[in-house]
Amino acid sequence: MDAVQLAAVLAAAVLLASMISIEIGLSVALVELALGVVFGNAFGLNANSDWLVFIANFASVVLTFLAGAEVDPDDFRERFGISLAIGLVSFVGPFVVAGLAAYGLLGWSLKAALIAGTALSTTSLAVVYAVLVETRLNETRIGKLIMSACFVTDMATAIALSAIFIKPNAWFPVFLVVSVGLIVGLPKLAPWFFGRYGDRVIEPEIKLVFACLLLLMVLADAAKGHAVLPAFVLGLVMARHYQQHRSEQQRMRVVAFAFLTPFFFVRGGLNVSLGAVFANLGLLGVLFAAKMVPKIALILPLARHHVPEHATFTTLLMSTGLTFGTISSLYGLNAGIIDRTQFSLLVTVVVLSAIVPTAVAQHWFSPDAEAERAASRERQSHSHTGGRRSSNEPATAGEGA
Amino acid sequence: MSPYEFTNVLVALDGSPGAAKALDCALSICSAVDAPLTALAVEGKLPAYAASLGEVDEIKRHKDEYFRGVLTDAAAQATTRGVELKTDLVPGHAAELITHYARAHGHDLIVVGHRGHFLGDYLLGSTADRVAHNAHCPVMVVR
Repeated sequence: MDAVQLAAVLAAAVLLASMISIEIGLSVALVELALGVVFGNAFGLNANSDWLVFIANFASVVLTFLAGAEVDPDDFRERFGISLAIGLVSFVGPFVVAGLAAYGLLGWSLKAALIAGTALSTTSLAVVYAVLVETRLNETRIGKLIMSACFVTDMATAIALSAIFIKPNAWFPVFLVVSVGLIVGLPKLAPWFFGRYGDRVIEPEIKLVFACLLLLMVLADAAKGHAVLPAFVLGLVMARHYQQHRSEQQRMRVVAFAFLTPFFFVRGGLNVSLGAVFANLGLLGVLFAAKMVPKIALILPLARHHVPEHATFTTLLMSTGLTFGTISSLYGLNAGIIDRTQFSLLVTVVVLSAIVPTAVAQHWFSPDAEAERAASRERQSHSHTGGRRSSNEPATAGEGA
Repeated sequence: MSPYEFTNVLVALDGSPGAAKALDCALSICSAVDAPLTALAVEGKLPAYAASLGEVDEIKRHKDEYFRGVLTDAAAQATTRGVELKTDLVPGHAAELITHYARAHGHDLIVVGHRGHFLGDYLLGSTADRVAHNAHCPVMVVR
């Protein structure tokens, strides 16, 4: 199958994924992954076509940038100490246990074990966010605490992925200096640049961000590293700007979700071998346990001490994973650190960790959202700090009239 | 007092033709018995297991805009017909939330349309069926 034919088939797959996602209420990324698995295993499509690898790699960096840019800095101040503690143990526990399990029990190479540790240490801020918004807990103390802790874990994952596999060479200082320069410079340049050139259909502001991310990718490649950390931090320092210019963020999301990220997730699915997964169900169980057991064992005591009424809910949501786990696994596959069987197992565990703890938390441990919101409102009125009105606050009597 | 003297009516809205009929019927009842009406819009579930905050945010924003429009229309109709209307917008699973909301806010009649928007209505039975099955109070299903 030539490049154009492959593109046409995958375009049909991502279109189908969008339609299925809307109809059944499942995230489009998960459906894209699933259709990638189906198309890859049924038709043997080439997941390593040059154009597809490039778009998927670029999409992973854009996704990382967006993950940083979507953080609301104001949400991450409340109870930062405990958020930091939960976020760090949420990363370190599974990183060590999954890494040791892969290295010692499964006999993976050291580097492959480090990829396993990184991929399985993640927490999905997006999965958690959807649960919190749906229950309207995102504006409560417990919601903000969980999101802060997820952010800390994401940051630790980005640092690990960037730091562990780097092989410093002559390009490394250049990569470092340019990364710092962009992180410091872009937020300062953005207001002027976006003001002068923005709000046009030719989208110079999106092109500027893409150019910065591609520059980071080129230099990271030359430095034998990964652009995930500077991309995440670059997104983070741009978050305030995007908060004030929501339409820019929306247009960026449109470009990313319409063209880039679908190919990232479909390619992830294309590389999953169902045969390898079913032939290694025992290993799958070991890896799943290597993620879940340390998460639960380490987070639950902390959560019981600091948020006793929501300890299990907090622990389960901190045990989720999706995007960063997939990014880490695909990085390992692209770099030749893990093989297709190892990749298939890691991605399957990552997807399971998005679904299983979330479903359990929602069905059996969801807090009384109404009581939480009332408590949060009471605390706010006592502290006289005021507060933003959430976009998902219910309309009050007569509103909309 | 008869157990069927309605004093606190709830109508569930989703912007569908069935819900429009339910609103019309609820306004008639409330106008006749001089009872206040609450219009509850349930946004339906957000995408489960999202990979990006953006996906959740954008879908939530679209839903908010759409359902606020639905409630605005309802408020305009209530004003025209002289009915006191309170509106509320909540995300989540329609049937569960409608019955939970009605119980929590002491509603004594729930009015729903026969068929809503969601594919689940076709696959799993309608929201109206499930509300009728689980509600603590009388449910009127409007065709």
